[in-house]
Amino acid sequence: MTRTRGSRTGAMAVALVGALLATACGGPAPSEDSDDGKVSGAIRLLTPIFEGADGKTVLEKQLGAFKEKYPDVTVEVDYTSYGKLNEKLTTSIAGGRPYDVMLMGVGWIPPFAAKGALAELDESKQDLVKRYNERVVEPGIYQDKVYGLPIMLDTRFGLYRKDIFAEAGISAPPSNFDELREIGRKLTVRDGSGKLTRAGVDILSNDLRQTFLPLMWANGGELWTADGKPAFNSPQAVGALQLMTDIIRTDKSEDFGFTQPGATGLPLAQGRAAMMVGHNNHLLAIEEQAPELVKEDKIGFFMIKNERPAMFQGGTLATVSAKSQHPAAAKALVRFLTDEQASLAANEQRGNVPALNSLADSEYVKSNKAAQFAMQNLDAAYSEGGVPAWLEIRGDFKAAIESALLGQKTPQQALDELTAKAQAAIAKG
Amino acid sequence: MTSTLESVSVASASRAPRPPRRRRLGAERRRAAYLMLAPSVIHLIWWIGIPVVATFGLAFTNYDVIAGTVEWAGLDNFREIFADDIWNLSIWHTVVFTFFTVPVAMAIAVVIAVLLNQQIRARAWYRAAFFMPHITATVAIALVWMWMFEPNLGLFNLLLDWVGINGPAWLSDPDWAMPAVILVSIWKGIGLKMLIYLAALQNIPHELYEAADLDGASGPRKFFLITLPLLKPATFFVFIVSMIDAFQVFDQVYVLTPDGGPANSTTVMTYEIYRTAFGEFDISAACAQSLVLFAFLLVLTVIGRRLTGKDGDEA
Repeated sequence: MTRTRGSRTGAMAVALVGALLATACGGPAPSEDSDDGKVSGAIRLLTPIFEGADGKTVLEKQLGAFKEKYPDVTVEVDYTSYGKLNEKLTTSIAGGRPYDVMLMGVGWIPPFAAKGALAELDESKQDLVKRYNERVVEPGIYQDKVYGLPIMLDTRFGLYRKDIFAEAGISAPPSNFDELREIGRKLTVRDGSGKLTRAGVDILSNDLRQTFLPLMWANGGELWTADGKPAFNSPQAVGALQLMTDIIRTDKSEDFGFTQPGATGLPLAQGRAAMMVGHNNHLLAIEEQAPELVKEDKIGFFMIKNERPAMFQGGTLATVSAKSQHPAAAKALVRFLTDEQASLAANEQRGNVPALNSLADSEYVKSNKAAQFAMQNLDAAYSEGGVPAWLEIRGDFKAAIESALLGQKTPQQALDELTAKAQAAIAKG
Repeated sequence: MTSTLESVSVASASRAPRPPRRRRLGAERRRAAYLMLAPSVIHLIWWIGIPVVATFGLAFTNYDVIAGTVEWAGLDNFREIFADDIWNLSIWHTVVFTFFTVPVAMAIAVVIAVLLNQQIRARAWYRAAFFMPHITATVAIALVWMWMFEPNLGLFNLLLDWVGINGPAWLSDPDWAMPAVILVSIWKGIGLKMLIYLAALQNIPHELYEAADLDGASGPRKFFLITLPLLKPATFFVFIVSMIDAFQVFDQVYVLTPDGGPANSTTVMTYEIYRTAFGEFDISAACAQSLVLFAFLLVLTVIGRRLTGKDGDEA
């Protein structure tokens, strides 16, 4: 009897340990794609778009339509933001359980494709450029193979307050760097104590790297030399950073710390800035904070110009993990998310620019002036990324730019150091 | 009575041959104990043991997390991190943060504990109020402070405006970002320290104060000659625990000053480890940085144990 009890206890222990290990290891994989050609399986989607409750509602509605089309596919969604995307990707890959479908930004494909983390999609560039804007097809390609299909574009260009410009008798937005500085100085307002109440030009509310890069491109600079070496310290790049430094330190058209992302609204919407380098979806933020400005057409847009017009262009692409257990189901979801219906819903929710050419005439684009402006100027759009080490390099831009804006380093010194770091990251591989 | 004795002796006799049964029961109990312990042991091995071993191992390799490849690297990662200005800066920032948060928070906590050890009205309410920040989610606290630090509409600058001072951009100015983070950390850290001091204060014999009163000692003299010396064991404990906590600060720094603050002015060791691992995907270098942090904490812990142990012996 005792022996029996002991055996039972031992068996329970083994069963418990087994159950715990099975739980810890994530349990058995669901069924493969079925042999009869039907797409099936349980797949996981990681998305940095569809943020918040509204985003979740939009995606769930779209996934309902996907389920109708593919009843044997179950999609488990992990919502995140671009700020946390790295962590999710790293931990899922390191844990041996990568997401089947991963939505990524422009510049992310080479780092992951180069290391074999992404599955090649059954698409050709020739076909894609017929359906999508070419500007966002290219970032999904690495070494002539397609790894990502575009869902949306996002752009950075100049935004200005038409009413503030009109009050000051300025009839047009700046057409070069000198005019940008001059208008900035003219529209800057400080109170009697010298406290800034309106920035003539706001270069701090947008991500600093994504503000610097369009200025650099507009000044004729490039991210890389022809042989693929960093060119962030070229005279054109230094000139762009010098412009930013002059706006803050010489013209005092904005004070460092004037805006605090996350704690205040957009200065342009509040009338605390006359113009800014901003994101196309800032129009959505303005519409929420001060709807009358959009209604009364008080927000204007301009391309950043000096040597040439330029606009920063990013985007979101859908990719499939090379280790997906259900590649057919994952690829079906990628196609679904990048098709008209889901893509339009995503762009509307995020205030972005559709990648599909067929959506250029959609009601959404017609009603969103920022999206229209971006689409009209895509010929002058430039993208970041391009090398597998980009994700390591891009994080160093902010501190380098800040060090120049704060006067801790000259623009040349700051960019020389940034270039040296980038070279080291590329050499490390 | 006899029957009782008999029954007792019978009972004793019947118990005599039982040792094997007790051993059996002991073995069963041991098995049951192991069974009960199994979840905790598995949890410890899985979530702490394996990651710790992996951290030590990976610090000496080049682990490409995306490609899944590992190569032996020897001490390369350590050379690399100590050649990195930002990592060295983060060590300095951590030391500065610790230097200002630990002693200042301890000094404030001991004063508050002494005050709240007096017979005052609503004492329990005050104690709860001071302890509240410790049990409130750091992220929630940091978000509220973020609003208070906001340069144009925040509470601090509004108050400064009333007295004619143009307040700084607290969290965006590299000169003010670290002091702002330190201020929040001191405020958050006072509660627990105060609680430990309160417990210690209640163990000080009241007779000592009565004797001092008879000798005509003033309040400050009693505080410096009786209270503080007798709080020494608690002070050692609070000091070491706070130092270790300060070296591991992350959440309030991360929420208040994302991306290491303006020009890396609030980059601390834990944030740099996080950035290296998840921003640069360099898990091996992050493991090497973790080992450096571990070395700091180990030294502090050993010093703490020696000091508290010695103090315990004296007591």
